[in-house]
Amino acid sequence: MAENMSVVINVNGAGRAVSVEPRKTLADAIREDLGLTGTHLGCEHGVCGACTILLDGEVVRSCLMLAVQADGAEITTIEGIADGDDLHPMQSAFSEYHGLQCGFCTPGMILAGIDVVSRNPDPSPQEIREEMGGNICRCTGYQKIVESVQAAAAVMSAEGGSA
Amino acid sequence: MTTTQENRWIGVSAPRREDAPLIRGRGRYIADIEPAGTVHMAILRSPYAHARINGIDTAAAEAMDGVHCVLTAADLEGIGDFPTIWRLPGQKECTTPAFAPGKARYVGEPVAAVVADSRYLAEDALDLLDVDYEILDHVVDVEAALADGAPVINEDMGDNTIIEYTFPGINALGVAGDVDGAFEEADEIISGRFKVGRYSGVALETRGHVAEWDDLRQTLTLHSGSQVASLLRTELAAALGIPETSVRILTPNIGGAFGNQWDRYPEDILVSLASMKLCRPVKWIEDRREALQATVHGREQLQEWQLAANSDGTVLGLKGRVLSDQGAHLHSVGIGPAWVTGAAAVNQYKIANYHCDVVGVATNKTPNSTFRGFGGPEAMFGIERMMDKTARRLGIDPAELRRRNMIQADEFPYFSPGGAVYDSGNYPAALEKALEAVEYDKVREEQQSLRDQGVYRGIGISSYIHVSGFGPSAILGILDYYTGGYEGSTVKIDPHGRATLYTGMIPMGQGTETTLAQVAADHLEIDIANVRVVWGDTDQTPYTGFGSAGSRSNVAAVAVIKAIEEIKAKAVRIGAGLLEADPDDVAYADGRISVKGAEEMRSLSLADVAQQAYWAHKLPEGDQPTLEATYVYDPANFTTACGTHVAVVDVDIDTGKIEWVKYVVVDDAGTIINPLLVEGQIHGALSNGLGGAMLEEFVYDEETGQLLSSTLMDYLVPSFTDLPDFEIHHLVTPSPHTEGGFKGMGEAGCFPAAGALANAVTDALSHLGVEADQTPVTPSRLWSLIDQAGG
Repeated sequence: MAENMSVVINVNGAGRAVSVEPRKTLADAIREDLGLTGTHLGCEHGVCGACTILLDGEVVRSCLMLAVQADGAEITTIEGIADGDDLHPMQSAFSEYHGLQCGFCTPGMILAGIDVVSRNPDPSPQEIREEMGGNICRCTGYQKIVESVQAAAAVMSAEGGSA
Repeated sequence: MTTTQENRWIGVSAPRREDAPLIRGRGRYIADIEPAGTVHMAILRSPYAHARINGIDTAAAEAMDGVHCVLTAADLEGIGDFPTIWRLPGQKECTTPAFAPGKARYVGEPVAAVVADSRYLAEDALDLLDVDYEILDHVVDVEAALADGAPVINEDMGDNTIIEYTFPGINALGVAGDVDGAFEEADEIISGRFKVGRYSGVALETRGHVAEWDDLRQTLTLHSGSQVASLLRTELAAALGIPETSVRILTPNIGGAFGNQWDRYPEDILVSLASMKLCRPVKWIEDRREALQATVHGREQLQEWQLAANSDGTVLGLKGRVLSDQGAHLHSVGIGPAWVTGAAAVNQYKIANYHCDVVGVATNKTPNSTFRGFGGPEAMFGIERMMDKTARRLGIDPAELRRRNMIQADEFPYFSPGGAVYDSGNYPAALEKALEAVEYDKVREEQQSLRDQGVYRGIGISSYIHVSGFGPSAILGILDYYTGGYEGSTVKIDPHGRATLYTGMIPMGQGTETTLAQVAADHLEIDIANVRVVWGDTDQTPYTGFGSAGSRSNVAAVAVIKAIEEIKAKAVRIGAGLLEADPDDVAYADGRISVKGAEEMRSLSLADVAQQAYWAHKLPEGDQPTLEATYVYDPANFTTACGTHVAVVDVDIDTGKIEWVKYVVVDDAGTIINPLLVEGQIHGALSNGLGGAMLEEFVYDEETGQLLSSTLMDYLVPSFTDLPDFEIHHLVTPSPHTEGGFKGMGEAGCFPAAGALANAVTDALSHLGVEADQTPVTPSRLWSLIDQAGG
């Protein structure tokens, strides 16, 4: 077994150092070493999007990266998007528009939704469907997720692009 | 406490109380649970479809650093199998063992398990296990499995026929049809052969458990995503040979269940056994390949139907044979889904003469068991395709053919020759509403002109019934289904007048916590914020005979209502004493206990009465202190949800791709508790139904017996761009025999989906004579059909 390596990651605005096996995925390190279990694992082969995080501003699947590859990076997980008790508009919209049922895909969906709106402040339903095609939901049939993202986009635009 | 109008909660889209942690990433799913000292289990699964296990050398794995133990079949002494709880007459005995019993019967059957410091290490150790497999001939096709000389998968059964069950076409009143007479008399006989593809729930969260054995107290705590914790507790204790009183099942958030989590699985035993052996917490989380190989599959059937009709469109009779590909062995519910197919196949139509043979067949595949819809979608696919074939043969519009054969609104209760008693509905009204919403006549007209332009548009109608709310326990007894059909509820009012509701139901995404709180708040006429719902702990919650399912809220809700009726009656008795009035002159309304006609003057709040009930200084004679009640509700009948879906699609004849034009739903689930959540359930069930209609399929290689679709790159679940926007309309025909009029609705959306899609595709290609009789109707499958038809 290879020796552990030390990795420093800025997680949700705070610097954290962890010691991990080189083979450990970023997703496992986020969950096990950083204790942030809001990042979920649905497939561990990069298809479902449940483990979606933002890494240096880009939307990535944390199951397809090794933790050691994230050394020096800034990551945002679902735990890092609310401002204290104030929910991010994307979080509020998912609840208001019933964009979640079991909630397992939800952290990844919310982060993917934020990413979509950050690039396209006024996405059409079709654009949302195409842009978010990398995230799978088994419960909702997607329609209410599309409505949630659209509603959040309107709020985010009104707030001056808080993404 | 607020006023009456503000405290009517049934019919309101109350916000989900489940959401707050889930949108913050603070849900607590199985994989998030890790008690101090937890070690991790990984499972070695058979790489072969059929192979004798002559020995397993575990020495190298056991010697590896970080490995705590290795389990094989040799460790199962004294450990029982899980039973098949639906045991129909003539069904061969079949159980679910923890490890492959001497030979592996499907790719993915558990062979050994390793427990190590981490999951990474446990998987490393799996590579060190040396299994001596003797590969046997396999069979993965249901007809091949029935042929002479086929490899016998379970030797003690003698052959691969597990059961042959006949529906003789006798209704619940004992009236028998005359199917042979109907076929002799009929002007036309229409035949169909349908392959319903193998697919399943494929929840985004895979299965998992954390088992904690306390050797000093001799108790086992199992954190589990089972949707039927009571039954798991009963069966797990029996399998492990420990008292049921020693077992506690705790259920955290569940990341989707879809029926698959209703079953008991080998890993339930293995993780518990490992914890008992090591006296420390053991965690097992399924990976995705395991989930696709070893969580139960659903649906797969080969159906052959014959329908007898007169030239005026009257359907006289239906007879059929359903081969159910059960996989290697029966799982928890046996051939239950296929039985339901036989029971439901006459659907909404007055077909008095009916006969169906259902055959459960073993193949070298993953067991086929509980999955959202449970045989109903399969039945609807067959009959709705048959209705369209009949319409085409007779030259009658498919909507008109259905209209002419539907059970009418004044014909309930309707005694179906499948055996069920339909409680209520208005099938023609649902059909007309759906046709109106989709603008049927207009779409039909456009279809013609579009075809001239090379656009192949099709319209597919599919009506459905969903016999839900399983079920009266006595009926389950008649069906040899060895569990009860009841739901229990305990409601406790605290001394401040707030309510805590204990339910055996388990929320798994459908919003049960919210809807049951709505029912309780509505009937107590108090603010919903003052109702807490406790679930997911077998030490606290009532035993549930049937467990949670998307279509169980209707039964559980009645248990809540009945318990609250007892509480209100007691509150009136106590309140009458305090108000110095005759109990007959006192009533419960607006969350208050008041003297009738003097509500302004002589009235107590629920909190006033509850406080007295806890002080118990002066209770009415015969009343016990405190204010709580438990009611176990056993339904009087099933409820029959129903409706009609219409799909409109365009088919690209060069690629076989299906493009959505419109999808209209009219559903009737009786009284609706929460409209927003009902919409969510319809969307979700439809996505399950359309997934299996268009994309999802467990594909087995005939030559090797391997499961080819064992990643999410190969097993295609619908994505954002595969599904349309759904247009939903409701009819409300309250169930006449349940308190509140609720019907089960969480599954109904998947019932008509495949029929609507396949009928639409067939309609689009009618000029070629292409018939979409096999699901999923993938682009490649459809392209081949178009190609063969010369299109």
